[in-house]
Amino acid sequence: MKFLRGLFIVLLALVVTIVPMSPAWAFCGFYVGKADSKLYNKASQVAIARSGNRTVLTMANDYQGDAKDFALVVPVPVLLKENQVKVGDPKIMQRLDDFSAPRLVEYFDENPCNQNVYEKMPIPASSAPSASSGNTRRRDSSLGVTIEAKFTVGEYDILILSAKESGGLETWLTQNGYRIPAGAKQLLQPYIRQKMKFFVAKVNLKELAKSDYKSLRPLMMAYESPKFMLPIRLGMVNAQSEQDLIVYILSPRGQVEVANYRTVKIPSDAEVPLYIKGEFSNFYKSMFKTSYNREGRKVAFLEYAWDMSSCDPCSAEPLNPEELKKAGVFWLNQPNSNPYGNGVFITRLHVRYTRDKFPEDLVFQETANRQQFQGRYVLRHPYTGDASCREARDYRNSLPQKVEKQSQTLARLTGWNIQDIRKKSFVNLPQSEPWWRRIFPF
Amino acid sequence: MIPKDARDYQILFLSLFLFLGVYNRDWTLRPDFMLVVFASCLGTQWGISVIRHGMHDWWTGVRDRFSPLAGVSPTSPLTDPSTPSPLNLRSAVITSLGLCLLLRADHYSTMAIAGCLAISSKFLFQVRGKHFFNPANFGIIAVLLLTHDAWVSPGQWGEEGWYGLLFVGAGGLVLQRVGRWDTTAAFLGSYAVLEAIRNVWLGWTWDVFGHRLMSGSLLLFALFMMTDPRSIPNARASRIIWAVAIAGLTFTLRNYFFLSTAVLWALFALAPLSLLLDYLWSAPQFSWLSGAGITESEADERTSTLQSATLQSTRVYFSNPELSPVYEELP
Repeated sequence: MKFLRGLFIVLLALVVTIVPMSPAWAFCGFYVGKADSKLYNKASQVAIARSGNRTVLTMANDYQGDAKDFALVVPVPVLLKENQVKVGDPKIMQRLDDFSAPRLVEYFDENPCNQNVYEKMPIPASSAPSASSGNTRRRDSSLGVTIEAKFTVGEYDILILSAKESGGLETWLTQNGYRIPAGAKQLLQPYIRQKMKFFVAKVNLKELAKSDYKSLRPLMMAYESPKFMLPIRLGMVNAQSEQDLIVYILSPRGQVEVANYRTVKIPSDAEVPLYIKGEFSNFYKSMFKTSYNREGRKVAFLEYAWDMSSCDPCSAEPLNPEELKKAGVFWLNQPNSNPYGNGVFITRLHVRYTRDKFPEDLVFQETANRQQFQGRYVLRHPYTGDASCREARDYRNSLPQKVEKQSQTLARLTGWNIQDIRKKSFVNLPQSEPWWRRIFPF
Repeated sequence: MIPKDARDYQILFLSLFLFLGVYNRDWTLRPDFMLVVFASCLGTQWGISVIRHGMHDWWTGVRDRFSPLAGVSPTSPLTDPSTPSPLNLRSAVITSLGLCLLLRADHYSTMAIAGCLAISSKFLFQVRGKHFFNPANFGIIAVLLLTHDAWVSPGQWGEEGWYGLLFVGAGGLVLQRVGRWDTTAAFLGSYAVLEAIRNVWLGWTWDVFGHRLMSGSLLLFALFMMTDPRSIPNARASRIIWAVAIAGLTFTLRNYFFLSTAVLWALFALAPLSLLLDYLWSAPQFSWLSGAGITESEADERTSTLQSATLQSTRVYFSNPELSPVYEELP
């Protein structure tokens, strides 16, 4: 029996620790300036279209500096060839943003003397800013850095590098004129150890001058990898404060959530005072910040989850099949390719991350959850026309209470001072009934 | 009053977690889904108990009629509930709570299937009166494999310290009562060592390691699912080997196959191993009512065949005195 036990333990150890090496990773990089300009990637937008292990990733950074100083280093899961990289259409990011943005909706109260039916009128919501070749294979043996591929795509010069150790990669990048932020060396090592490649992009000024585009277009990559994640750690090297990342994930199946952090729905369906119409973006920013702090600054927020064939209310028209293709959706019109159907379900995640609260890269998980969700805020206009029935009196008397409730909701969501809110909310409120009307009716 | 049965504590704590989760963690689980899970688990438990008793009565009738020796012949676990003990609903409640805490689905039917399969697995996959799959784990994996609309959200508990403390405290109380803390310690210890080695090798800072280990879902699993004393190996040595193996497989699945629900798959894959471990390291089987290591039969949770056969023959002896000469001659 003892021999059997020993044999068993050895066999078991072998079985559970067989480590298949399949290097894979996804991205999100950091800016490295070629001059001493101050570069911070404070807000990025990433679109990921994924079905099975196939992924099309689009990255747009709101880079504001001089194009000649732009450079991007991103860890990539596989060795990308020229035809796997493309420049995306900046309009598509804008479309995804508009379609999924948190929205303000208006309702108009009916004449209380008539039937109480509300008319819905959506208002487009605010939106965030978007953002020839030949393979050469050289080896710089002293640094352990290999240029696996070199090509030009649109206005970008792309290098795919592999490295043996982080010191060598850092030296190589510095020698070749890339300004590496302090502390990048330690962060490059984990990616190198996992046999990942590095996607290095800088702007080809001649190509940029030839093109009609004033700003840098998003970069798109297609690859196949079981790993579904975004390495945000590199992005925190040269960022001083919190950074915003908006991820649009397109899936044929359902909602996508973060597997190693909590995913929390942004507060929604709140009725807010009418004056918010003029300052919706302020409201949303404050509300997001309050929610972010309330959740301990360590969660990902779900801002939108919807089947892309419809919207209710629509802040923008749904993307047509052509636009979806441009966004990376590759499974349309492919019968039997997918057990979950050929639709597109969009998840919009908003992650505000800092180094101390987000130590690990984001790992995503596709779920079958098809429950739809949207960040939606409601304005309710009171009826201001003539009405002289008993219901109208009750209605008018109830208005101050309603406005007070809206004000309190707003104060709770944003952390704004309730007195200031009240001052603004109660302006233009239709006169409530004088108290003597209770005993001297019409 | 202190409950005698450790399962009462388990029910209490799991209910507390479920309450905390629904009200504090913004979950997608709806009360109607919970009702479906409870109904399917309790219904299946009840249904199978009724069928088993029916079969047992029928079998006793046939046996007494045709064979004077029938009382001693080994009986199948399916047809042999030795004494009509009260319907064992505690276990079904724990399974339901486990499913509610972990499993998410789009449709009622998926939740119902998970509940039915979870409870059925206790009766279908048992050897010598011991079921070897953790019922909730079996139900979850079954619907993940068989349906398209089930999922598990491993990130839902976050990594907050006070949840970790709550889990450890509550789990510790239960484990102390059932004497299975060794399993949790072996699992968490070996998993932490593997993650630490990887962390050092990759060169990540230690907060990455901390973040990976402080996951509330991992602690919940380690303290409440993989310690179920009825389905894990009986002997301490085998439990430790078993827990270390699950930790190794979890580590491999998570880091090399990128499965975010690696722990559940690892437990499922290695559950049958407990049979082999019980064969290699024999020890008395656990019973909830009497504490660790003492045998006692329950309607659906049978002790070893040998012991049950002894109980059975004793009972028949007294209930059928006219057959006593025959029994007395038997070993």
